[in-house]
Amino acid sequence: MKQVETINGRELKEMLATATSWLEKSASDIDALNVFPVPDGDTGTNMLLTMRSSVDEANQTADSSAGGVAQAIARGALLGARGNSGVILSQIWRGLAEGLQDKTSFNGADFALAMHQASVTAYKGISNPVEGTILTVVKDAASAGQAQVAKGDANLISVLEAIVSAANESVANTPTLLPVLKDAGVVDAGGQGLYTILEGALRYLRGEAEQMQFRKPLIIASSLPQPTRVLRISPKEEKPFGYCTEFLLKGSGFNQDKIKTKLKKDGESLIVVGDDNATRVHIHTEDPGKIIRYATSLGTVHQVSIRNMDEQHQDYLEMQKDRTPEVDIATIAVVAGEGLADVFTSLGTTAIVSGGQTMNPSTKELLQAVKSVKSDKVILLPNNKNIILTAQQLQSLTDKKVEIVPTETIPQGVAALLAFDYEADFQTNAKLMQEAKSSVRTIEITRAVRGAHLNGLNIKKKQTIGLLDGELLVAGKDPLDILTKMLARLDLANTEIITIYYGADTDPAEAEEVNANIREQYPRLQVEVIQGGQPYYNYIVSIE
Amino acid sequence: MTVKIITDSLSDITSDLAKELGVTVVPLTVLFGHETFLDRVTITTDEFYHRLANDAVWPTSTQPTPAAFVEVYNTLAKETDEILVITLSGKMSGTYQSALGAKNMFKGKCRIEIIDSQQVAMGFGLIVISAARKAQSGAKLDELVDWVKKAMSRSHLVIYFDTLKYLAKGGRIGKAQGLLGAMLSVKPILTVKDGEIAPLTRLRSLSAGLDYLYNFAKGYPDAELMAVEYATTPDEADRLVNRLASVFPRERIFKSAISPVVGVHGGPGAMAVTVLEAEKK
Repeated sequence: MKQVETINGRELKEMLATATSWLEKSASDIDALNVFPVPDGDTGTNMLLTMRSSVDEANQTADSSAGGVAQAIARGALLGARGNSGVILSQIWRGLAEGLQDKTSFNGADFALAMHQASVTAYKGISNPVEGTILTVVKDAASAGQAQVAKGDANLISVLEAIVSAANESVANTPTLLPVLKDAGVVDAGGQGLYTILEGALRYLRGEAEQMQFRKPLIIASSLPQPTRVLRISPKEEKPFGYCTEFLLKGSGFNQDKIKTKLKKDGESLIVVGDDNATRVHIHTEDPGKIIRYATSLGTVHQVSIRNMDEQHQDYLEMQKDRTPEVDIATIAVVAGEGLADVFTSLGTTAIVSGGQTMNPSTKELLQAVKSVKSDKVILLPNNKNIILTAQQLQSLTDKKVEIVPTETIPQGVAALLAFDYEADFQTNAKLMQEAKSSVRTIEITRAVRGAHLNGLNIKKKQTIGLLDGELLVAGKDPLDILTKMLARLDLANTEIITIYYGADTDPAEAEEVNANIREQYPRLQVEVIQGGQPYYNYIVSIE
Repeated sequence: MTVKIITDSLSDITSDLAKELGVTVVPLTVLFGHETFLDRVTITTDEFYHRLANDAVWPTSTQPTPAAFVEVYNTLAKETDEILVITLSGKMSGTYQSALGAKNMFKGKCRIEIIDSQQVAMGFGLIVISAARKAQSGAKLDELVDWVKKAMSRSHLVIYFDTLKYLAKGGRIGKAQGLLGAMLSVKPILTVKDGEIAPLTRLRSLSAGLDYLYNFAKGYPDAELMAVEYATTPDEADRLVNRLASVFPRERIFKSAISPVVGVHGGPGAMAVTVLEAEKK
C-alpha cells in the first residue's frame, strides 16, 4: 500500500496545480449543474478562476514551507475569488492556511486538523450558512478526515481518501438538504467543485498525474435525482431577486464584522471575507448603488460585478421549459400531499395534478396536464374513485391518445406506476398497470364527514373510520387501534410489504408507533413508513 | 488449427469452464483506493463483497491494458493462426479499445478479429461458450465472427438489483438514471440495450424479482443456453436453477457468480438470468 507520510511546500504547489487542472476538465459540467437562484451562474468556471489565482500566487512566493505556500494560496484565492462559491472556496483555503501555519511540511493528522479549521472558517464568513451546499461538503469531509486520524491511520493518503469518500457522499446527499436541488434533480455545484479539487489532490498523492490526462472527473449523481423534470400543475408566487453584486475592496484596516453588520439589512446571501487590506463582498441586493457607495467610502473597489438576477431567472425559466423531457409515454398522476407527490415523482411520473378526496381536479386542469406533457401517448392515474369519471372525459377532448388506468387509491396508483415497463408499448403498458393495480390492498384511516348507518355500524360525525379498498369496515376513536384491528382482519400470509403513508395532520411519532407495532406483530413483513402529507387521511396503507 | 477464443472476466465464465472450452479470460482490474486486484484472480467474489460493505473507500474498476492483451495474443499465436476476441460492451468499458490497441501492437502473423458484444456478464458469456464449442468442433474464424454477430441479437440478459444504493454511487448507469432516488424501497429490473444498462421495470421484493427472472426465462423454452447468476446468494441461484430445470434441460443452464466489476454497481444480492435464443432455422 502506497504511503505518503508528509508533503512539503513544493509538493503542495504541485498538488494544487494538479487539482486545478483536474477541476478544469469538469468546470463546464459543473456549470451545467447550476440551479437558480443559487447565486452564481457558472460555479465551475468561477471556482476554476479562483484556483488559478491561487496557483499564480503560490508560484510567485519565495517561501518554500508548506505553511508559507498555503498562505500564498489563500491570498491568491481571496484576490481572485469569483462568485459565491469562489469566495467560500477562498475561505476554505484561508482556514487551511491557518491550520498549516508555521509548518515546513505536514502529515495526515495536520491536514485533518487544517480541514477542520477550513470548515470553521468557511462557515464563519457567511451570514446565513445554508446546508446542502459546499459548506456542508467541507464540514462532512473534515469530520471524516478527523475520524480517520482517530482510527490511528494518519497516512496522508488514507486521510485524504476518507475525506474524498465523505465528500462524495456529502455531495450526493445535498439534494436531500436543499429543496431547490431536489426539484432540479442535481447535486450542489459548489460541493461538486470542492469534491473534484479534493479528488484531484488525492490523485496527485497517489501519483496518478499521468492517468489523469486521459480521464475526466466524476460528476456525482444525486442520491435523489428527479427521474424526469416533473410538471406540477399549480402556479407559484414570484418575488424579485434583485442584483447579484460582488467586488474586491482594497485599502487598510478593514473590519469584516463591521462591514457585515452594516450591509446585513441591504440584501441577502451576504458574504464578507478577507483581511486587513483586502476584503471580498458578495450580496444579493435591490440597490447595488448603495452598496458600492458605502464600499468606496472604505477603500478602493475592484473587480466589480453586478448582475441582474431577475433577468437570469427569466432565462432560467426559459431553459427549464426546453428541458422538460420528451418521453415516449407520459404518465400523469392525481395526488394530494407533498410527500405523496415526491413518491410519485421519484417513481418517474411525468406530471402531477394536485387533487384527491374532496378536492377533485376539474376536467380543465387534467386537460392542461395532458396538453403540457411532451408526448402524444398519455396514461392517467386518477388515484381516487371520484376522479375516474372526470378523467374519462379527456379522451374526447384531445387528439392525444389517453388511457385511464382507473386507480381508486394511492397504493393502487403506486403499484400501477411501478409496473410501468420501459420497453413495452402504450397499450401493453396500460394493460400491465391495470393488472398491477389489483396486486395491492388499501387501508385508509380517516374521519367520517357525517353520521351514518353502514355495514351494521353506527357511525357518528367526525368519528375515526377505517376503509379497506373503499369499503367501510371499522369505526372507533383511536386511528392506531383501528389500523391494528383492520390488519388483524386481513390474511397476511402472502403479504410481503406494508407501506404506511401518514397524513399532514398525523404526528410522526404516532406513525413510528404504528410502525413498531406492526413490526412486532408481523416480524416477517417489510414495513416502510413515509410522510405522505395527505390531507384528511391519517393513514393510507398499502398491503402487497 | 483450432480458433482460439479470448474474452474478458466480465463474461463470468468460471476458470474450470474456460479450461474445458479452451477460452482465455483476460481479467479487468478492481481498485479499492490504490490497492489493485485482478478480477477473480487476486480477489474472490466473497472478499470483494466483504470489502464493498465494510471499506470506507469506494471501489472502481479499469479495463485490462493493451499490453495484457498483447501478451495473450503472443502466447496463443504459438498454437493457432486465428484468434477471436469477444469483449463486454464498449459503452461500459474500454476493454474493447484495449483489445483493438493490442492488435495494432501485435507483431505476429496470427489473424485476430475483435467483437464488441454490446453485452455484459452472461449476456455475452453464453455467446463465448457457444462460440468456443463451435471452434472446438472445427469452425473457422470467419464463420465464428458471422455467428457471433448474429447471436448478439439473440442474447437477452435480465438483471435484478436488490438495492439502488450502489447503482447510484457508481455513476456509470446509462439510461437507468431514472430509477434512482425512489423514496420507496424498490428493486429495479434492468437489461442491456444497445450496449448500455437500461431499465425494464421495478418491483418491491426479492420474491417478485425471482418470479420475474423465472417467468422471463420460461418464455424461451426453445433457447439454446441459459445462465443464472448471483452476487452473494448462491442458494437463491440454486433454487432458481431448480425451478428453471422443470421447464428447460438442466445441463444447458449455467450457474455463475457476477463479476465484482458489475458488483460495484449491483451490490450484494443482485441476480441475473440470460437466455441465448437458438438460431432460427
